[in-house]
Amino acid sequence: MRILWLVLSPLIALAVGLFFLGLSRRVMARIHWRYGPPLYQPLIEIFRYFTQKGSSHGVLFGLGIVLSLAGSIVVILFLPFGGICSMSGSGGMLVVLYMMLLAPLGIALSGGEAANPNASIGISRKLMLALGYELPFLLIVLAIMTHYDTISLVDIVSAQRETASAFASFPLVLSGIAYLLILPAMLGMRPFEVVHAPQEISSGPIAEYSGPYLGLVTIQHALTTFIGISLFVNLVWGGAGNPFVFFLKMLVVLAFGLFVNAAFPRLRVEQAVRYLWRWPTLIAFVGLILVVTLGR
Amino acid sequence: MDRNQLTKWFKAPTKMAHKYSLHAVYFCTGCGVIEIPPTITARWDAERFGVIPAATPRHANLFLITGYVSVKTLRAVIRTYEQMPEPKFTVGFGSCPINGGMYWDSYNTINQLDKYIPIDGWIAGCMPRPEAIFVAVTHLWTLIDKDMADGYKRYRKHYAQYRANQEQVLGELEWPPLFQSEREG
Repeated sequence: MRILWLVLSPLIALAVGLFFLGLSRRVMARIHWRYGPPLYQPLIEIFRYFTQKGSSHGVLFGLGIVLSLAGSIVVILFLPFGGICSMSGSGGMLVVLYMMLLAPLGIALSGGEAANPNASIGISRKLMLALGYELPFLLIVLAIMTHYDTISLVDIVSAQRETASAFASFPLVLSGIAYLLILPAMLGMRPFEVVHAPQEISSGPIAEYSGPYLGLVTIQHALTTFIGISLFVNLVWGGAGNPFVFFLKMLVVLAFGLFVNAAFPRLRVEQAVRYLWRWPTLIAFVGLILVVTLGR
Repeated sequence: MDRNQLTKWFKAPTKMAHKYSLHAVYFCTGCGVIEIPPTITARWDAERFGVIPAATPRHANLFLITGYVSVKTLRAVIRTYEQMPEPKFTVGFGSCPINGGMYWDSYNTINQLDKYIPIDGWIAGCMPRPEAIFVAVTHLWTLIDKDMADGYKRYRKHYAQYRANQEQVLGELEWPPLFQSEREG
C-alpha cells in the first residue's frame, strides 16, 4: 500500500499541478474578458515540447533539470495530501525546508550552463527573491513548530485538525497572515514575477530551453505550484481529512494568488525584497515572539 | 477547429499538438507588428486557439515576419529562425516580405524573403487586419494536417542554396553553417 502511494503521489501532484496551470490561464483570461485556452492547454504544450527537437548546452544543462525535478518529487513525498502522506517520518518539516531549495538550485545550475545573459539575470533575481521570502518563511515555520511542539508535518496537520487551524488560533494567526503576504512571492506570481519576466528578460532562467528540456521545465513548474499551495494549506489552514477537501482548499488558495496576480504590476527586485523584509518579516517576528512568550 | 475530436488525437497526436500550441516569436519588423497586440489581447484573443507570443525563439514554433525586412534585420531574422527548434513554421505578413511592397526599390530592404528563409504561407495586404492572422492560422492548420508546412525540411534540404543567397546580401556571415551539406561532400 505504501509503495503504491510512493508511486502515485508524484503523479497526483503532477496532474493537480497541470490542472492548476491550465486553470490559472483560463481564470486570467476571464479576468481580461477573454475566452482563454482550454483547460488541457498545458498538456498539449508539453506534448508539443517533447516531440520537438531540443538543443542541449552541455551535460549539466540536462542534469540540472533532473536535480530540480528530483528535489520537487522528494518534497511531494513528504507533503500530506489530505490524510495521505507517503513518507510520514518524524522530521518531515526539516526535509521539506532543505529539499525545497533543490528545485531553484537545479534550474540555476542548468540555466547557467547555457551562458545566456538573460538567464544569468533571472538566476540572480531568483536568488535575491529567495533571500527575501526565506527569512519570513523560516520565522513562520519556527513559530508553527514551536507552537505545536513538533517538527513533523503530519503531526502539525493532525494537531490543527484536533483544535483549530492556525488561522483560527490567536498567536498563530499572525504567522498565517505573514504567510499569506509572502505566498505570491513563493509561487512566483505577478507582483513578484521578477524571475521569469517575459517582456523584460525574455523569461529569465528558462530562456535557452527548447524541446524536451522545456517540457521538463514545465513539469517542474507544475510541481512547484503544487508544492507552494499544498504547503500553505498544510501549515496554516489545517490540511484536510480527505484528498477532495484538500483539493478544494488548494483551489481557494490558488484563486487568491490569481486575483493578486491579475491586479498588480510587477515590482523591481529590490522593491520586492524591501517589501518582503519589512511587513511579512515584522508580522512573522511578532507572531514568533507571541508564540514563545504565551506558550501553548 | 477539430481540437475536441478525440479520434484525431489518437490518429496523429504529434500533428494535433503542433497545430494547437503555436507559440509565436516576439520579433517585430516593420509596421505590421501593430496588428499583433490586438490579436493577442482581449479584442481578438488568439490564446483560445493556442497562439501565444513566446519570449525567446527557443520556446517558439511560429515565426511571423510582420512587415518589410531591411538588410540589417535580415541578419537577425536568419539567426532567430535558426535558433527555433524543429518543426517550425514561418508566415510572411503583409505585402513587403512577399515582393517588397511599397519598398520594392529601396536600397536597404530585401524584396523576396522566401529566397533567404523558407516561408510556409503568406498573408497578403497592406496592412492585413488581425482577422487575417486567424485565417492564416487556420490555413496553417490545414497545411500541417496535409504535411505541406515543410519549410524546415526545405531549409535542411536546400541549405547550401539558402546560405549562398544570404551571403550574397549580407556578405561573409559570422556564424558557422547550421547544417553540414551532405550533398556536396
